[in-house]
Amino acid sequence: MPEPPAYESTITPPHSVNLQVSLGRVQLANPILVASGTFGYAREMESLVDLSRLGGIVPKTITRLLRKGNAPWRTIETPSGMLNSIGLDNDGIELFISHHLPYLASRNTALIVSIAGRTHDEFVEMAEMLSAESGIAAIELNISCPNVSGGVDFGTDTSMCERLVSACRQNSSIPIIAKLTPNVTSVADMACAASAGGADAISLINTCQGMAIDWRRRRPLLGNVVGGLSGPAIKPIALRAVYQAARATETPIIGIGGIATCDDVMEFLVAGATAVQLGTVNFYNPKASMEVLDALPEAIGELGATCLDEIVGTLNID
Amino acid sequence: MSDAQGSSVQSPLAAAHYADSANQYRVVVTENERLARDTYRVRFACPELAATIVPGQFLMLKLAKTDDPLLGRPFALYDTVLDTAGNPHAIDVVYLVVGKLTARLAASRSGDAIDVWGPLGNGFSSQPVEHLIMVAGGIGQTPFLALGREFLGRRQYGVPPRVIQPAKKVTLCYGVRSLDLLSGVEDFKGCGIDLQIASDDGSVGHHGLVTEVVEKVLTENSAAVCRIACCGPEKMMEAVAGIARAHSVPCEVSLETPMACGIGICFSCVVKTYQPDGDWDYKRTCVEGPVFDCEKIAW
Repeated sequence: MPEPPAYESTITPPHSVNLQVSLGRVQLANPILVASGTFGYAREMESLVDLSRLGGIVPKTITRLLRKGNAPWRTIETPSGMLNSIGLDNDGIELFISHHLPYLASRNTALIVSIAGRTHDEFVEMAEMLSAESGIAAIELNISCPNVSGGVDFGTDTSMCERLVSACRQNSSIPIIAKLTPNVTSVADMACAASAGGADAISLINTCQGMAIDWRRRRPLLGNVVGGLSGPAIKPIALRAVYQAARATETPIIGIGGIATCDDVMEFLVAGATAVQLGTVNFYNPKASMEVLDALPEAIGELGATCLDEIVGTLNID
Repeated sequence: MSDAQGSSVQSPLAAAHYADSANQYRVVVTENERLARDTYRVRFACPELAATIVPGQFLMLKLAKTDDPLLGRPFALYDTVLDTAGNPHAIDVVYLVVGKLTARLAASRSGDAIDVWGPLGNGFSSQPVEHLIMVAGGIGQTPFLALGREFLGRRQYGVPPRVIQPAKKVTLCYGVRSLDLLSGVEDFKGCGIDLQIASDDGSVGHHGLVTEVVEKVLTENSAAVCRIACCGPEKMMEAVAGIARAHSVPCEVSLETPMACGIGICFSCVVKTYQPDGDWDYKRTCVEGPVFDCEKIAW
């Protein structure tokens, strides 16, 4: 078997820029993460990306039991974006722990495990199960998937959200991140609820609900009829949500939504995100995370900053 | 590497064909030639990809520096092009204009940049066979020039090269809607492939379905020494799978399911397959296929 071609960075980061960030109890070497559902279980990407350079990896969301996922078609391209309705196709937490975790936990990067429960108790049970394992930097509660029934309620009801985050926090030694949906009236209220529950960090946004139709056949294009919109098309929505959430709470924010370039990352940092997750771009530019990491120190330097704290939330709105 | 024996992961949950040797390249178009109605052949230099890709594998192709279209699309290897020293140097992809990306690709000129990543997927079987019958529907012909050349001993693919015991005969049963959509005939005939054409409207070859041609080829030859490799519309592949079963001939089908990434991370391109326990599960075409034993597909 030939050796996979290694990714070679062409830019040496200036020593003067410190990329380390803290998300509550979670320390990251840099703010560039990859989002759940857009990076498989990382094994798929190892010939294209130097995984150890990433600030962290969020593998595909796992559920308590195996889920076969939704019927095809599961994705459809839309202007500057795509709709998906995968339906949390995964093998369940036990096989994740036995099969994927050993690989993921030994990549020399922060591992953030994304979980989705159907009920409050199922979320808590999964958080407890993961607490018994080593090598997990944080648990991301996917309370925002638009393509399954159940879990999303925790992302749209403030009291359910707070109660869930609090219970997971109390029953797990691993830091907790709440991943929020944009499909609410007030993202700020949801961020405050997650914060009140004790979240170490809040990640947002998950996909925006949407659909696509073939009018000639009078048929939806997605097997599940409706799905979630992602990609550059939703970046302005995500920026707005991050800005509002960051102003509403002191809890660190992880920005997600259409981030594809270093410029996009900088916009999210200025808006108030402490870290970011690259999502859909992994599908159409698998090396995007490496390109962003190459370019980031220079962009930070351009603002005269030497660390992320000097950038995060510095939006000037006067 | 792509063949199953090369996979280092043995767990039944692991994908059989991770993109272990894949890389991403920005390349430039060197030729873009019209072959038939709405059908083009694009060529780009990419020695690394040309050296490693094998027949039946695919690559993802995206127009560079644009978000419109946003995603790449999967394309089969048509053939590799050798340099003057005889080393694989460039890639040919033959494509049908069906949407925005292919329409814009058709308008691309020499020097235009495109992004590609590959090689991806498993490729067709390299197991020896006396008579390889390739069955194509429309643009589904694209994987078969390279496969035919390989099984006729005319060309080797992969690093190290796939070892193929030459077949005594390679037939391509090629169905098109009409003559104006027929492409690659000189290429197929030029390397010694026995070409059997069918057209829906009778404008070329057998007037009727390609499946009728497949039946005839299997009847006139000894089915016991044949294997089928098939690529085309799903209904056609299902019908060919039925014929293969009736004649007890092994049959591989190359699926094209809507795909966003090509590398196994999006879980879009799933196909319903039978499991050893008799239950079914969705499998990712990009990392479990695109070539499947037709008996594994829950049509």
